[in-house]
Amino acid sequence: MSLLFLFNWLGRSWLGAWMQKSSYAFEAAEMFHLLALAGLGGGVLIINLRVLGLGLKSETARRLMKELVPYLTGCLVVMICSGVMLVAAEPEKCYYNTAFRVKMPLLLCAVGFSVFVQRRFLEWRVLAVISLLLWAGVGLAGRAIGVI
Amino acid sequence: MLQSFCIWLYGSGMGTAIRESIWIFPIIETVHVLGIALLAGTVSLLDLRLLGITLKSQSVEQVARQVLPLTWAGFGVMLVSGFLLFSAEAADSYGNIPFRIKLVLMGLAGLNALVFHRNPVTPLRARLAGGCSITLWAGVICAGRAIAYVSK
Repeated sequence: MSLLFLFNWLGRSWLGAWMQKSSYAFEAAEMFHLLALAGLGGGVLIINLRVLGLGLKSETARRLMKELVPYLTGCLVVMICSGVMLVAAEPEKCYYNTAFRVKMPLLLCAVGFSVFVQRRFLEWRVLAVISLLLWAGVGLAGRAIGVI
Repeated sequence: MLQSFCIWLYGSGMGTAIRESIWIFPIIETVHVLGIALLAGTVSLLDLRLLGITLKSQSVEQVARQVLPLTWAGFGVMLVSGFLLFSAEAADSYGNIPFRIKLVLMGLAGLNALVFHRNPVTPLRARLAGGCSITLWAGVICAGRAIAYVSK
């Protein structure tokens, strides 16, 4: 099964049909995507800046991360759900969009890096810089989807 | 008065240059969008602490003292990038309803913070301030997104 098939299937599903027909669903999904970006981006910033010695210094980075993981997970779930809705509205446009093709691997890298690498070596400053760059790249590529 | 300022800004060299360039506007817009994380993302963590939802191992004062400098940095980024975007569209922004709503919500968010800082903190007041703040900033983000929907 090719990826294009999957995208087209999503576009033809009830979700795709609703996203394409509704006069407000796309706008609403975009707003939720932005709101969750604030939460996820803010949390990622606070944790990485803490590792770099800025911001919430009265808390260890490890504990800060532990306390914020449920919040970050919640925001990520909202981002993914609203993101799937946005793709369902314009599956072909996304599939052939260069920025989208850059964003998806970057997103996988950012999530994988945070969950599997950074969590184990949280105090390593260089990892915090890499994490910030990865997430900034996801955001940049995401914004670029709508521009190009 | 305000309208003539908007028209003047729109016609100014800066406003015209940003509007006519293919790249400058989207680049500033990207900074403005990613700046949301620094401004709203950090202030919402303080709000959630006020609501007693997260970072409970820290006192409200500790979180506020350490997080608010980041929030202010974000505010600076948003103010500058927002003003540059505004200058490119000022003549249209003036009559844009979501833009007006956004400014009012930002004013209310500022007022909420001011009232909170000026008065003694009680648990109820802290929850109220946190709830108002996070709701108002969410409204600012939604209204900000809506500016482009209406002007299309």
